[in-house]
Amino acid sequence: MSHYHLDRRDVEFVLFEQLQLEKLLNLPKYSEYSKEIFDMVLGEAQKIAMDVLAPMNEPADKEGCRLEDGQVKIPKIFHDAYEKYKAGGWVAPHAKVEWGGQGMPVSLYLAATEFFVGACTSFLFYPGLTASAAHVVELFGSDLVKKNYVEKMYSGDWTGTMCLTEAGAGSAVGDLLTSATPNDDGTYNVVGTKIFISAGDHDMAENIGHLVLARVKGDPAGIKGISLFLVPKIWVKDDGSLGEANDVTIPSIEHKMGINACSTCVINFGDEGKCRGYLIGKRMKGIVAMFHMMNEARIVTGAQGMALGNAAYQSALLYAKERVQGTDISNMKDADAPRVTIDKHPDVKRMLATMKAYSEGLRALILKSAYLLDMSESIDDPVEAARLRGVLELLTPICKAYCTDKGFKVTELAIQTYGGYGYIREYPVEQYMRDVKIASLYEGTNGIQAMDLLGRKLPMKNGMVFMNFLGVIGDFIDANKAHPVLGGAVLLLEKAKNKLGEVSYGFAMSGQSDPDYPMLHAVNFLEMMGNVVVGHLLIEGGIIAAGKLPDAKEGSSDAVYYSNKVKTAQFFATNILPGNDALAAAIVSKDRSALEIEF
Amino acid sequence: MKILTTVRRVPDLDARFSLNGDKTEIDTEALDHKVNYFDEVAVEEAIRLKEKGVADEIVSVCIGSGNATKELRTALAMGADRAILVEADEKTLDPYLVAAILAKLVEKEQPDLIIMGKLGVDFENTQVPQLLAGMLGWPQATFAYSTEICDSKVTVGREVDGGTSTFRLPLPAIVTADLRLNEPRFPSLPGIMKAKRKPLDTMTIEDLGVALEPRVKTVRFEMPPEREAGVIVADVAELIQKLRDEVKAI
Ligand SMILES: Cc1cc2nc3c(=O)[nH]c(=O)nc-3n(C[C@H](O)[C@H](O)[C@H](O)COP(=O)(O)OP(=O)(O)OC[C@H]3O[C@@H](n4cnc5c(N)ncnc54)[C@H](O)[C@@H]3O)c2cc1C
Repeated sequence: MSHYHLDRRDVEFVLFEQLQLEKLLNLPKYSEYSKEIFDMVLGEAQKIAMDVLAPMNEPADKEGCRLEDGQVKIPKIFHDAYEKYKAGGWVAPHAKVEWGGQGMPVSLYLAATEFFVGACTSFLFYPGLTASAAHVVELFGSDLVKKNYVEKMYSGDWTGTMCLTEAGAGSAVGDLLTSATPNDDGTYNVVGTKIFISAGDHDMAENIGHLVLARVKGDPAGIKGISLFLVPKIWVKDDGSLGEANDVTIPSIEHKMGINACSTCVINFGDEGKCRGYLIGKRMKGIVAMFHMMNEARIVTGAQGMALGNAAYQSALLYAKERVQGTDISNMKDADAPRVTIDKHPDVKRMLATMKAYSEGLRALILKSAYLLDMSESIDDPVEAARLRGVLELLTPICKAYCTDKGFKVTELAIQTYGGYGYIREYPVEQYMRDVKIASLYEGTNGIQAMDLLGRKLPMKNGMVFMNFLGVIGDFIDANKAHPVLGGAVLLLEKAKNKLGEVSYGFAMSGQSDPDYPMLHAVNFLEMMGNVVVGHLLIEGGIIAAGKLPDAKEGSSDAVYYSNKVKTAQFFATNILPGNDALAAAIVSKDRSALEIEF
Repeated sequence: MKILTTVRRVPDLDARFSLNGDKTEIDTEALDHKVNYFDEVAVEEAIRLKEKGVADEIVSVCIGSGNATKELRTALAMGADRAILVEADEKTLDPYLVAAILAKLVEKEQPDLIIMGKLGVDFENTQVPQLLAGMLGWPQATFAYSTEICDSKVTVGREVDGGTSTFRLPLPAIVTADLRLNEPRFPSLPGIMKAKRKPLDTMTIEDLGVALEPRVKTVRFEMPPEREAGVIVADVAELIQKLRDEVKAI
């Protein structure tokens, strides 16, 4: 039996009943699409996930990657799957049609991505990074570079990477040492060593386009002096044909906790002084181009947390319904009482409900963010588009950090639900936990995300983006306070939202004089905001479900689904949202002990 | 050469089934549906024949509810050229009626070859292709694991009990697809987008002049009984004794 179980019903609920994705069909950009196509895309994605990707998850994890004679070998089974994935057009379906994509809404693409990541996380790095890298080349590359690389990469014939990290430059990207010197022909000579590069080398495609951050010799220190380069593994001649190896070498690969079938490489550029690259975008504007990609990549990273959390929840749920242990609590003293499955025990129910609430909440957050991206890029009204972009920028660190931290938490709860069996390799949840942990580290650690939220996103437009966002949730609260079923949950949301507003106001007042203190609590603040954002989406979903419940046939799977959806919202509101009180209490305490302990 | 393939919409067999109140119907409303796997194999075979240059048009036909356009679009996305939906309430159909409807369609479409799944995975009747061949007076080769077309004849490798056999049939003919015939492709995203623009005609049974007179009446469905707990036997001797005396299996 497959390790992977997906919840297509909830994906469809979020896409079609909550976000109402059909609204996109009215926009000229998506005129080629229809609801029927949306359904078919989800169906095909499910098939690829279940039939092609899921069977590789465990064996590929066991096999891992090897470095042989300077060439990275990835699990052989990936090769055939990659051909199928490519042939299906899945590498970059959201890319423009003129570049070989299908112009698919990102919301639909990410819904499909959930299935793929849940089925086989390690595999997804190769096409996923390729699509992101190609997008940067499309937006910022010269015409020649675009002509020679973009379609090749979007199709998956060549793959791509993002090379930021160096030994001395992790979170502090600006401290990088890789250098570039201009050549007479307009290319640059690139020299330096990057580490931890995902999908940095493999034997699955004939070429790799590395996007490398480096400093042109003489340009200023720090982040402002950085430029972005496209450095191919094999040089591509101007006519598009492949030339010689480009002095890009792999001295070693990492051995890791998880994502074992995704190669993580040290890459030497220009060991022999013969590595050439193209400048992408303007000189010293590398970080602008990179950030463009990071915003999307951060949502995709959040989707990784969401997908693995969901996979772990589904797995634990099935297990809990089958594992027989102990008796019903009311029969505890009776040695002959019938044995029950563990999903009957209240403490296991608590774990299942917690996993369900986070899993569905994270899904709603990721798909909603993707939907905002789709809308902001396709509507006519520039003012509304700018507003949506603002909301999306505000939500990006939350997508990244909250979804990966809570996704991890769900995988941990899934192991707890399994008991000892969860710790055993024979069951899939320990791999989910190993595979998801990386998501809170790369693409900017979650600590860095929290600082981004507090230091950069909150002050956007003098705090107006944040205030307007709270305003939208406030309107929702006002409209639904009297809801017959979820009115109480809405009031709990109001409390949590007000706490969030209060502490953000406190930060704004004290931030200038004492920068350490707000940063001490940046992660707590992000958690508070994540709770409010996800609480809002779950309650909104719950209210929609409550409205549909009377029309659902009694006892039908829809009736059960809607009724559970209402209760899930109620559970999150009662059990998670009050956490904001505790977090706020810590934040407003002004307690400085963590800053004062001598470590 | 023109190939007709049939595409049936069947419930996802992994779903949990339930019966309606008087047990005369399986409740399929809430179930996911998909293309009958053997029909996917049939469509794939037709596409391969087209890719080899042997066939030039593939028409896929479904007899079923309006929702079945999705399954037909799947065939179109795989590579069929056009599709026909004969609208009918699936619950009023039986194999004879389906064959009769197809026979009328064949009169209109005049295909040179019909490729069908060997059976529908839901009821596994394995009757429609055989009935259709009888009605049309065409030769048939069932359970194909290979096909080859040469000089207006189709050579079909067949899976039979205890081995294989090979038939050579003059066209027009009917071939039914077995599992080993091929591995159907996944419809690609470009294929899905293109499928939207391919013709999909809808017609009714009345349009074809077939009378809706089913010959099979469903009396009642029963769910299989819940499996009871097993017993642990002490040794092989006890097992044999139980198999002989209680189960009467030997
Ligand atoms: C499996 C894997 C795959 C990766 N893939 C890629 C890739 O494809 N491309 C790529 O470029 N990189 C990649 N990375 C690198 C990853 O992005 C970095 O590891 C990450 O950015 C953190 O950098 P670091 O490891 O040097 O940690 P550090 O920067 O040393 O951080 C250590 C800790 O200090 C904290 N910290 C650091 N600076 C600050 C600060 N100013 N304020 C507050 N806290 C701070 C961090 O939050 C963290 O908790 C990958 C890493 C791994 C492990």
